[in-house]
Amino acid sequence: MFYLELLLVGLVWGCTYAMMALGLTLVYGLLRILHVAQATVFTLGAYVGLLVANHTGSLAGAFVAAALAAGLLGPLVYRFIYRPILDKPPFVALVASIGLLIAMEDGFRLLFGPYGLSFAKNTWFTTAVGFGGLSLNLVQVWIAVAAVVLLSLFALFATRTRAGVAWRATVSDPSIAESFGVGVSGVRHTSFFIASVLAGVAGVLVGLLNNLVEPGMGSVISYKGLAIIVLGGLGNVPGTLLASLLLGVVESFGTVYLGKLLDRDAIAFLFLILVLMIRPQGLLGKAR
Amino acid sequence: MLELRGFACGYGLIRAVDGLDLTAPEGMITALLGPNGAGKTSTIMAIAGQVQAQAGSVRFAGADLAGLGPAARTRLGIALAPEGRRIFPDLTVGENLLVGGYTRSSAESRATEESVLALFPRLRDRHRQRAGTLSGGEQQMLAIGRALMAGPRLLMVDELSLGLMPAMVDQCFGALLDLRRRGIAILLVEQNTHRALEVADHVTVLVSGRKAYEADGAQARQDPALVDSFLGMKEPA
Repeated sequence: MFYLELLLVGLVWGCTYAMMALGLTLVYGLLRILHVAQATVFTLGAYVGLLVANHTGSLAGAFVAAALAAGLLGPLVYRFIYRPILDKPPFVALVASIGLLIAMEDGFRLLFGPYGLSFAKNTWFTTAVGFGGLSLNLVQVWIAVAAVVLLSLFALFATRTRAGVAWRATVSDPSIAESFGVGVSGVRHTSFFIASVLAGVAGVLVGLLNNLVEPGMGSVISYKGLAIIVLGGLGNVPGTLLASLLLGVVESFGTVYLGKLLDRDAIAFLFLILVLMIRPQGLLGKAR
Repeated sequence: MLELRGFACGYGLIRAVDGLDLTAPEGMITALLGPNGAGKTSTIMAIAGQVQAQAGSVRFAGADLAGLGPAARTRLGIALAPEGRRIFPDLTVGENLLVGGYTRSSAESRATEESVLALFPRLRDRHRQRAGTLSGGEQQMLAIGRALMAGPRLLMVDELSLGLMPAMVDQCFGALLDLRRRGIAILLVEQNTHRALEVADHVTVLVSGRKAYEADGAQARQDPALVDSFLGMKEPA
């Protein structure tokens, strides 16, 4: 029972990673940019969600506002930060991305203070839900539900709509897709929008899970996300999801058995380093 | 349908093709032949708008194509089955066709898809299969089918036979003959001169970016000068 509970908790963490890493892998697959600044979209979502929740008392409103704010910020980052430097080598975009992340983090610090804010009323956090002897809090349940629903919606978009198919074609061969009339600019903005909505919602959920929203909350999850997309086989969506869940579970068990030696994030990165030493092409990547 | 005059294209300062006059009339197969590196693919990619034309004019159905991007040319009725086929390997056969018809309404696309599947029944059998798992011949059919989905008046096929089994080459050439009967202009680039000559109504040979030989199909089929033009025994005119 104890193991099962650890597994569940790990999968829930994995779901938050999946929501972050999916966006990173979308952006990487399309533009070959390591979108570190995704962390800032995540943090913005968390702050917007918290402010709306604390002012209106509505968590539903908090999620909608966070998704909108994040969904607006992401395409703007593409439009004004990445697009002007697309023809430069990839590290230029990476440096710009890290720069934006640092600037935004300090922006949050100036606006909202360095110590972080808590939700005034976080009933999900204090409500335990039992499943035949297992116990999770309501935030963890909602994280799992949100991840499944949002990722399923994404899968439906990618496989069942004209725009989604065109989007996948563009990832595969941009110049041929464009020659058949697919608007590459629209595809890119859409990708940033999807990635950002996922990150924004994940931000609110993680804020609720820790009952804390603070300026630097995006950094660690974003770095883990970058490691996860490498582990998943860069640009490989199923591999990314698998790697996210796996990392969550490893962290969950690791904190129990190695927690005295190493903290949770150290365990995560140690695991990622070890796996990448054995399978540098990623879990589902093809050997080169 | 398609008319090139004094056409030149290339990459940067390098001219891949220079001073080329070429026409591809409707209902005819025009073969553009020549050895490796002669500039055949560059020519086709420039007509498709993927490579910059450097001099001369390219006219299609009376309109000058200068300054038009690849998608605009597709809308005018120029479609390409490119070298190496470049199908979308992670998309299904049906999804590849959907992208081919992206410029058109879904009603038009459905009707065209039906005719493409009638032309290549194997694509119907493989409709839900990932395109990357198809055989080379099936991928070539898909590349041609995807181009046809755009409803072209000019179909350009680059290296149709390359790497395909002879039976597959027969099927693909058979499809071209069918399309010719429907009045589509076909511009065919081939290294397999023998196969191209069997179907061509008009033959142009490029050597080192310049026209080395030109004749109608019947004449070219019995003309020893055609072989000479390849071996470089005759100076380009």
